[in-house]
Amino acid sequence: MTDYWIILTGALVASACGFLGCFLILRKMAMLGDAISHAVLPGIVLAFLFSGSRDAVPMLIGAAIFGLLTTIIIQTLRGQGVQSDAAMSVTFTALFSIGIILVSLFTRQVDLDLDCVLYGEIAYVPWDPLKLGGMDLGPRAVWLIGAAFFISLVVITLFYKQFKLCAFDPALAAAIGIPVTFFHYLLMGLVSLTTVASFESVGAILVVAMLIVPAATAYLLTDRLSVMLGLSIGMGTTSSLVGYWIAKLLDASIAGCMSVTAGVLFLLAFLFSPKHGVITRWWIR
Amino acid sequence: MKWLWTSIRAILIVSLIVISGCSSSTTNSKSSGTLKVTATTGMIADLVQHVGGKHVQVTALMGPGVDPHLYKASQGDIEKLDQAHVAFYNGLHLEGKMTDIFTKMARSKPVIPVADGIDKKKIIETKDGQYDPHIWFDVKLWIQAAGQVKKGLIEVDPQHKNDYEAQATAYIKQLEELDQYARTQLSSIPKEQRVLVTAHDAFSYFGRAYDLEVVGLQGINTSSEYGLKDVQRMVNLLTERKIKAVFVESSVPKRSIEAVIAGAKSKNHQVSIGGELFSDAMGEKGTPEGTYIGMVHHNVDTIVKALK
Repeated sequence: MTDYWIILTGALVASACGFLGCFLILRKMAMLGDAISHAVLPGIVLAFLFSGSRDAVPMLIGAAIFGLLTTIIIQTLRGQGVQSDAAMSVTFTALFSIGIILVSLFTRQVDLDLDCVLYGEIAYVPWDPLKLGGMDLGPRAVWLIGAAFFISLVVITLFYKQFKLCAFDPALAAAIGIPVTFFHYLLMGLVSLTTVASFESVGAILVVAMLIVPAATAYLLTDRLSVMLGLSIGMGTTSSLVGYWIAKLLDASIAGCMSVTAGVLFLLAFLFSPKHGVITRWWIR
Repeated sequence: MKWLWTSIRAILIVSLIVISGCSSSTTNSKSSGTLKVTATTGMIADLVQHVGGKHVQVTALMGPGVDPHLYKASQGDIEKLDQAHVAFYNGLHLEGKMTDIFTKMARSKPVIPVADGIDKKKIIETKDGQYDPHIWFDVKLWIQAAGQVKKGLIEVDPQHKNDYEAQATAYIKQLEELDQYARTQLSSIPKEQRVLVTAHDAFSYFGRAYDLEVVGLQGINTSSEYGLKDVQRMVNLLTERKIKAVFVESSVPKRSIEAVIAGAKSKNHQVSIGGELFSDAMGEKGTPEGTYIGMVHHNVDTIVKALK
C-alpha cells in the first residue's frame, strides 16, 4: 500500500505541475518553480519569528504568502518591460538573500533552513495520513496536492480559451478585450499555490523538475495545446511510475529517480519526436 | 474538454493497476524471534544494539559520515520503517522534518525519541527557545538515553525484560567508565588553553560536561552561511589566547576552518588543524570509531593531543 500512495503522490505532483508547466513553457517562464523554491526562505524565517515554532502549518502559511508575493513581483516587473528571465532572477535572488540576512540576524541558533522545515520527503508521505473522525483517508499530501491540481483544472477549464490566447498572442488577446494582466496573475497564483503545496509534501527537486520537463517533452511531440496538456500529464504520471520502480531497484532517492526518468523521456522525445526529433529529421533528410 | 476527462480517467486506471499490483500487505508479526528495530542515527543504533543484544536486529537509516540535518531518504528507508517493530529517533528536531513523520507514525507503532528519557533541566535551550539536539556529547546524558532505550524495548518485548535490564546495566557501566576517562583526560589540559574551536557548534553539551570553552564558527545549522565577522572574531581569539589547534568535523566541510587558519597566519600566529572530530555521525563500521564508545574515545584523545 505504501508503494501505491507514493506513486499516486508522485503522479499527482507530476500532473499538477506538468499541466501548469505547459503554460509556463509557452510564456518562457519555465524556471518559475525554481525561483519560488528559493524565494520562500524569508517567509519561513518570518513565520518562525512570529509563531516561535517550526511546525508545518506556520511554515506552510509563510511559504504560501511569499510564493504569491514572488509571482506578483515577477509579473509586475514583466508588465513594466523587464525581461522574463531577468525579472525572475532578480526577484528570487533578492528574496532569498533577504532570507539569508534574516537567518543570520535573528535565528543563528536555530536549525532553520528550507530542507529542514519546509521541504517534505516523498518517501515518508504514507505515514502522514489525513484523519477525519477516526477514519484514515489516506496521505495528507494526496489531498493537499490533489486539491491544488483540482483547482488548477477547474480554473483552466473554465477560462481555457482566454488562457490559450494569452499564452500564444497576448497582444491579440488584449485587442479583443481579454484582461490579459488578470489572467497572467491568475496563472502565476495557481503556480505558486501548486508549487508550495507540493514542496511541503515532496520536496523541491521533484516539483521544479515536473514543472518543466514533462511540459517540455510534450512541446516536442505536438503543436496543439490541448494535446500538449494531456501529454504532459501522461509523461509526468509515467515518470512517477517508472521512477519509483527504478528507485526501488537501486535503493535510491525516489524524487531523484522520478526526475531522472522524466529527463530520459525528454531525451527520447528530443531524439525521436515524429516532427522535431533530431534523429527523425536526419533520417527523413 | 474531452481530452481532460480522458487523461484523468487514464490516471485513475493506471492507479488501479498499480494498486492491484502491489497490494501484498506487509506482515508485522514478530515471528522470527528477534525484534526488528530501526534507528535514525548510528549513535542510536549502536545504543539499541548494546541494550538489545541478541534479541534485536538493528538498522540505521543514516550511515557513517551523514549529517542528520541534511539527510536524504532513499527508497529502502520505507521498508526499514515499515518492517520495524519499533523505531528509535533522537528528537529535539535533530531529524528536521522527519520529526513530524515520527510523531505521526507513533499512532500506529511504537516510535520512541531517546531525548524524552533525558532530564528536561539538563537540555540546553538556545536563546530562541529551541533545544540543542546534540545530546550524545555528554556521556552522562547518553546514559539516561540508554535508560530510555531499555524502557522502550521492555515495553515492546516484555518477554526478555531480564536480559534487557542486565545488558543495559552492563553497557551503562561501560559508559560511566568512558565518562570518567573523558573527564580525567580533558582536565589534564591547562585551563587557559581548554578551548575547543570547531566549524559548527555541536559541542555545547561536550563543553558543559567536561569544562571546555566551545567556540563555533557557524551557528548550529550546518547550512547557514557564516559571516565575515565570525572569521575575524575567531582569528582574534586564536591569536590573543594562543590557542594551538582548531578542529574539523567528519560531516562539515573544511573550507570555513581553513579560512580562519589562513587569517591567523597573517597575524603571525601558527594554528594547526587538531585532527578530525566526529560530531553528527560516527566512523565507518568495523573501525574503532564506528561505535559510540570508540567515537568519544577518539574525540577526547584527539583534543587532548592537540591542545596539551
